[in-house]
Amino acid sequence: MTLAFSLVVAVMFGSGAFLVLQRDLMRVVVGIVLISNSASLFIVAAGLTQGAVPILPVPGGVGAPVSDPLVQAMALTAIIISSSVTALLLSVVYRLYVSHDTVDLTDISEAEVRQAEALERDGDPEEEEAPQEGPGQEEIEEKSR
Amino acid sequence: MTSSTLLVLPAGLPWALAAVFALLDGRRAWVGWIAAAGLGASFVSVVLLGLKVLSEGPVEVVAGAWPVGVGITLRADVLSVVFAGVSVGVILVSLLYEVSTGVRSRTFPALVLFMAAGLSGLFLTGDIFNFYVFFEVSMTAAYVLTGYREKDYQVRAAFIFAIVNLFGSVVFLIAVASLYHVTGSLEMQTVAERVSAVSPNSVISIAAAILVAFSLKLGLFPFHLWLPAVYVGSHPPVAAILSGALANIGSYGLLRFGGDILPEELEFGTVAVLVLGSASIVYGALQAVSRRNTDEVLAYSAIGQAGYILVALGVGGPIGFSAAVIYAVVNSLNKALLFLAASLRGPLVGTAFAVGAFSLVGVPPAVGFVAKIAAFKAGLAAGGVVEVMALLAVIFLGSALSFVYMFQLYQRVFLANEPQRSDRSKKTSPRATRALVVALAALVLAIGLWPEPLLVLGERSATDLTGSLGGGLP
Repeated sequence: MTLAFSLVVAVMFGSGAFLVLQRDLMRVVVGIVLISNSASLFIVAAGLTQGAVPILPVPGGVGAPVSDPLVQAMALTAIIISSSVTALLLSVVYRLYVSHDTVDLTDISEAEVRQAEALERDGDPEEEEAPQEGPGQEEIEEKSR
Repeated sequence: MTSSTLLVLPAGLPWALAAVFALLDGRRAWVGWIAAAGLGASFVSVVLLGLKVLSEGPVEVVAGAWPVGVGITLRADVLSVVFAGVSVGVILVSLLYEVSTGVRSRTFPALVLFMAAGLSGLFLTGDIFNFYVFFEVSMTAAYVLTGYREKDYQVRAAFIFAIVNLFGSVVFLIAVASLYHVTGSLEMQTVAERVSAVSPNSVISIAAAILVAFSLKLGLFPFHLWLPAVYVGSHPPVAAILSGALANIGSYGLLRFGGDILPEELEFGTVAVLVLGSASIVYGALQAVSRRNTDEVLAYSAIGQAGYILVALGVGGPIGFSAAVIYAVVNSLNKALLFLAASLRGPLVGTAFAVGAFSLVGVPPAVGFVAKIAAFKAGLAAGGVVEVMALLAVIFLGSALSFVYMFQLYQRVFLANEPQRSDRSKKTSPRATRALVVALAALVLAIGLWPEPLLVLGERSATDLTGSLGGGLP
């Protein structure tokens, strides 16, 4: 059983790490979800004892062997934290999608470089709330391609 | 006030306020000022708790009146109080700075309060899983704060910050679960007692995971990749909070877990810790010298400064631990002062920045001198002749390079006439923010002129960690 758990945890963590290295931001978020859940699985697996009932109530009545319930409380907390952080990450991705119309990291950083150049020509970024030069510049470059 | 109330207040007060302020519009000035007052009250409670701990020894409370060993333990010793005080203080100064220039987002005061609650809770807990929970509370607030002002590059920096640090959190969570698995307890003291009986083979991998997790938070050399991207994008008070308060999680975590809970493993990994620390010092300083952007120089300098803390930790013993504590405290003050001062313009701001620069370099009478002396002492205490020579050479090289980059920076920001590309316009900054920065600079000078309290705090923290009364600084 331990071997099965460790294999699953390893595969989940590995796939998560692979996804985090992608350029698509949605895949990065999914990767983080996989990695956090592999940690939760690790916690639960660490608390199970062979031959003991995993969760109360015990069929054999009080006194029968039962697995440590504390790790399950820990896993629950970890799941809550990871789900709320995932919500936060998704909102950040959505915010980037709204302003760039893409969730690809290369496109976003290119757009940012263009904006920075536009700002450098126009001066103070504090005064300027919306990138006025940005979209125009983008169209010109797309045409030139 | 009883000690149990005092122990709950530093985390509980900002937490309750944050929950209320999340519903209010933080852009209104009165909301910001009340938040600052609440944070000030929390700071006062940390100081009161500190006085109690210094006179009566560690304070311990089991939450919810559960029996000992069942409930979650809250615990304050000198080390935790020192870190809580510095972190809450830096956050308070940054909040005052932002409120006096005008908050631009409705959630800013609430987020800052959440972060203060998370940090105080993390420093004042005696339970490793509770440590993880508070750690996530403050980290989540930090992810959102990085995106404050909502410029695209700031949002992207927040994303990078969140992803990289979530990795660190998961590694830490796995280490916590493993520690529980091998010792059967989550209470720090019990874990520390039982872990020496566990086979070293399994504990050393846990210790490595903890080292990786906290090095990532602190931004040490091989784990630093997120740090420049995040600090460069951030709004100055946010950068001050990140480097002056949040980075303390890393130093405190390394000291608490390395020095207190896993001392044998720390000793076993001395060489690795010293090499990583030295690499950090040299790499950070070299990168900082080669950068032109103010925030980038300060970000790389943060990597270098974190290296000193790791080197002091690697040396260990009363001298090493007290040097690490002193260096961490001084580094927080320096970084907060420098990030805030570099973004301002007007009379006395340049002086304040120069004080911060002198302090970072380690020139008396600024407090950085005390920290550098402590670091040199730690270097001298490291075992054999070769090690001592190598460490002293690295520390000296790091200081010399920091002298170069700090004064290059001073020249570029405050002396040069060329117009700056970034948002550092020529307008004079509001008087309130300038007064704040000057006050912080005065504090740095004052502690430098009268370093005894800081030295005593460092020594007492080290005593808490090593559990002995020997050694220490004069």
